[in-house]
Amino acid sequence: MLDPMRRVVITGIGVICPIGIGAAVFWDHLLAGKSGISAIEAFDPAGFPSRIAGQIPAYKIGDYVPKSYRKATKVMARDIELAVVAADDAFKNSGLKSKAYTDTPTINPVRFGCNIGAALISAELGELTTAMYPARDAGALDLKKWGSEGMNNLTPLWLLKYLPNMLACHVTIIHELKGPSNTITCADASSHLAIGEAFRTIQRGKADLAICGGAESRINPMGLIRQTLLKRVTEAANDAPATALRPFDVDAAGTVIGEGGGLFIIEEYEHARARGARIYAELVGFGASQDAYRVTEAAPDGHSYGTAIAKALQEAGVAPDEVGCMVPHGLGLPSHDKAELAGLKLAFGQCLETVPMATIKGQIANMGAAGAIDAAAAVLSVAHGTVPPAANVHKVRDGMKLNVSSTPRSANVQIAVSSVYSLGGQNAALVFKKV
Amino acid sequence: MRRVVITGMGWVTPMGHSLDTVWKRLLNGESGIARTTLFDASTFPTTFSAQVKEDYRVEEFVSDLSAHRAIGRNTRFALGACAQAWKAAGLDAGKLDLDRVGIYLGSGEGSLDFAAYTTSALAAWRPQTSTIDSVEWARRAFATMDISRELEQEPNMPLSHLALLTGARGPAFNCLTACAASTQAIGEATEILRRGDADVMIGGGAHSMIHPFGVTGFNRLTALSTFNEDPVRSSRPFDAQRGGFVLGEGAGMVILETLEHAQQRGAGILAEVVGYGSTADAFRITDQDPDGRGAIVAMQEALADAKLAPQDVHYINAHGTGTKENDGNETTAIKAVFGEHARRIPVSSIKSMMGHLIAAAGAVELICCVLAIRDNVLPPTTNYQNPDPECDLDYVPNKARAAKVDVALSNSFGFGGQNDTIIVKRF
Repeated sequence: MLDPMRRVVITGIGVICPIGIGAAVFWDHLLAGKSGISAIEAFDPAGFPSRIAGQIPAYKIGDYVPKSYRKATKVMARDIELAVVAADDAFKNSGLKSKAYTDTPTINPVRFGCNIGAALISAELGELTTAMYPARDAGALDLKKWGSEGMNNLTPLWLLKYLPNMLACHVTIIHELKGPSNTITCADASSHLAIGEAFRTIQRGKADLAICGGAESRINPMGLIRQTLLKRVTEAANDAPATALRPFDVDAAGTVIGEGGGLFIIEEYEHARARGARIYAELVGFGASQDAYRVTEAAPDGHSYGTAIAKALQEAGVAPDEVGCMVPHGLGLPSHDKAELAGLKLAFGQCLETVPMATIKGQIANMGAAGAIDAAAAVLSVAHGTVPPAANVHKVRDGMKLNVSSTPRSANVQIAVSSVYSLGGQNAALVFKKV
Repeated sequence: MRRVVITGMGWVTPMGHSLDTVWKRLLNGESGIARTTLFDASTFPTTFSAQVKEDYRVEEFVSDLSAHRAIGRNTRFALGACAQAWKAAGLDAGKLDLDRVGIYLGSGEGSLDFAAYTTSALAAWRPQTSTIDSVEWARRAFATMDISRELEQEPNMPLSHLALLTGARGPAFNCLTACAASTQAIGEATEILRRGDADVMIGGGAHSMIHPFGVTGFNRLTALSTFNEDPVRSSRPFDAQRGGFVLGEGAGMVILETLEHAQQRGAGILAEVVGYGSTADAFRITDQDPDGRGAIVAMQEALADAKLAPQDVHYINAHGTGTKENDGNETTAIKAVFGEHARRIPVSSIKSMMGHLIAAAGAVELICCVLAIRDNVLPPTTNYQNPDPECDLDYVPNKARAAKVDVALSNSFGFGGQNDTIIVKRF
């Protein structure tokens, strides 16, 4: 039964991103203005016009799974690893002992949901090509040879490395979560939509807890070429990575690819209180909408983007001038920035000039399906009473004025909002409130 | 909580693309399975599949394709199925509040640009070091890859194109939970309507994995049937001789509405969506839980949601893939949920005739449930010859059957332990 009184709070935050592994490190480095954008090291990017990325520092996936699960890490694409690491971080700071940490978990598996946003996962080129090479004929893949022999060079579980729902699959197995499970695949909007859907699942009583957010890595040749062909990445800042991505700035020249994982543990309020959980913030509003404009461009009028934010604020019962920290998408991609500002203007009206804004992508790059990291910044701004800096926003485009600062600002943040849009036109917004 | 009804349906399948023609063929026990012609699969372990036939032309359903120029096969199917459903529901964009018309799809990714992808990779391969020369790769790839073909592989593209087709600007999602995706999408779309966040939702899915690396992936998992000598008889759900599923492709779309909205505009109501359940196995990445625990809870959740007892269910459209594992486990789960009533409920799998449409399977199968209610007839499980002691339910073997159907349940289970169940009821 729908119980309108079921409140939902954030009790765990997990982050792995270019400025740190762990939500606490991420927050410290975000406030310190650290940049996670640097020259690409994962492969030689010399053949690409954009050669920088928001890269995660080295880690060992085996350190983030139970010993008995280490073998299974061999069939994890990097996107899956990032979700697994973020889940470990979220569980550890939630105080919940899942099956990953104890033989006698206290959580009820069937009341614990999972909704992890994911991307189109690119197969590792080396793994596939080493199998294809013996089956080539004059530079092309000979399908007859491939069918009879070549394909047998691939591990039997090859396909399972790349299915988008394998992020949720591994996380639910590792932590033994058997409640409602879902995988949203809407590019940059995936995380926010996944969190919103998990929120609804708890609200309507189908679960008491859920892990939700998303993960993606675009730092591979296919990931970079797609963003390059789409003319989304800046080609002008290879020598100055820290200032390459300039959200809403007059000098914005494109975004920067990145990688990350961001997951929340969200929980029904009474359930969280009963176990004495630390509550970071309450999730009080969610709005989703769709552009019907073009698949390659955000609708310039910002109508649907503004609607998503307005719906979320309306559900929260919050007026625009009550928002104490706004974390927009802020890609640093001129035409998209312009459209996003139009949508923000529709949602915030005159308050758009005064609402404290934190555009964090200047430091971490575009996280793709891991946009939950933006939402994590919003939640932490409420929890810590600090508005993160807006790196690389010097002069806002179109003569507009935004309330941004290059340094963190202490503030009593009662309400924070995080909003996002995808290539393809999906829009989503989340509203968080101090408890 | 608002009641939710289905007011329009459309599909593009390996057995055709008109709602009633395909339904008639299913009731006749025909097959959409044949040799694969989309690429040379002659030496693959599996040489056949269930392809959408060449007489399907999206232009027949979408007159202006200018916004859809570079679409992939999945979107091509999605547009045709959606246009049919929209028309059947009698929807008129001019009379709708488009901010309250949403879309929830469970669509799969598009196909790789195969030639550009493979030739770039092969040219850049350095066998001495077993590495890709990424500089050479970039040179080749920039010369051959196309912006639109790359973009159209993104799994949210069918969704985005349906928004352009219909003008829908309400809540929009794509979930990709493997073989359970479109059942999940329709279930979640129902929840959005129940909550009042939209008046109309387009729900469904579209997918094609009939391409070299798709078949490779499933062949390596040994999930596909290899009865190459007789494709029409290759998909044998619940039969003792079953040997895997048959890869299909296509799309299924339904128009879901709040009852109030449907009645206000005088729409014809095909059925009511009354129950939805979703769970995770949390068991193994490769196998289903052999006790079917996740599937059991998904069905139980759906029944509880529908406020129905096991004996109220008249028909189960099974996931019934034709793999050893699924059909045994699904039978176990049905028996656990329905108890002694299980043997009295007809259970059938249309995958015996049109193969497994992967992300699109659930939507197409739910449409069959609605048609079973409409016509009081059950589609058969064809190719059923040898009873398996593990599978001992009434599978509606080989021949369609007239039966009173007021309530039908549809199961979908995905790789990775994703279980979803929907229940529809005569309105």
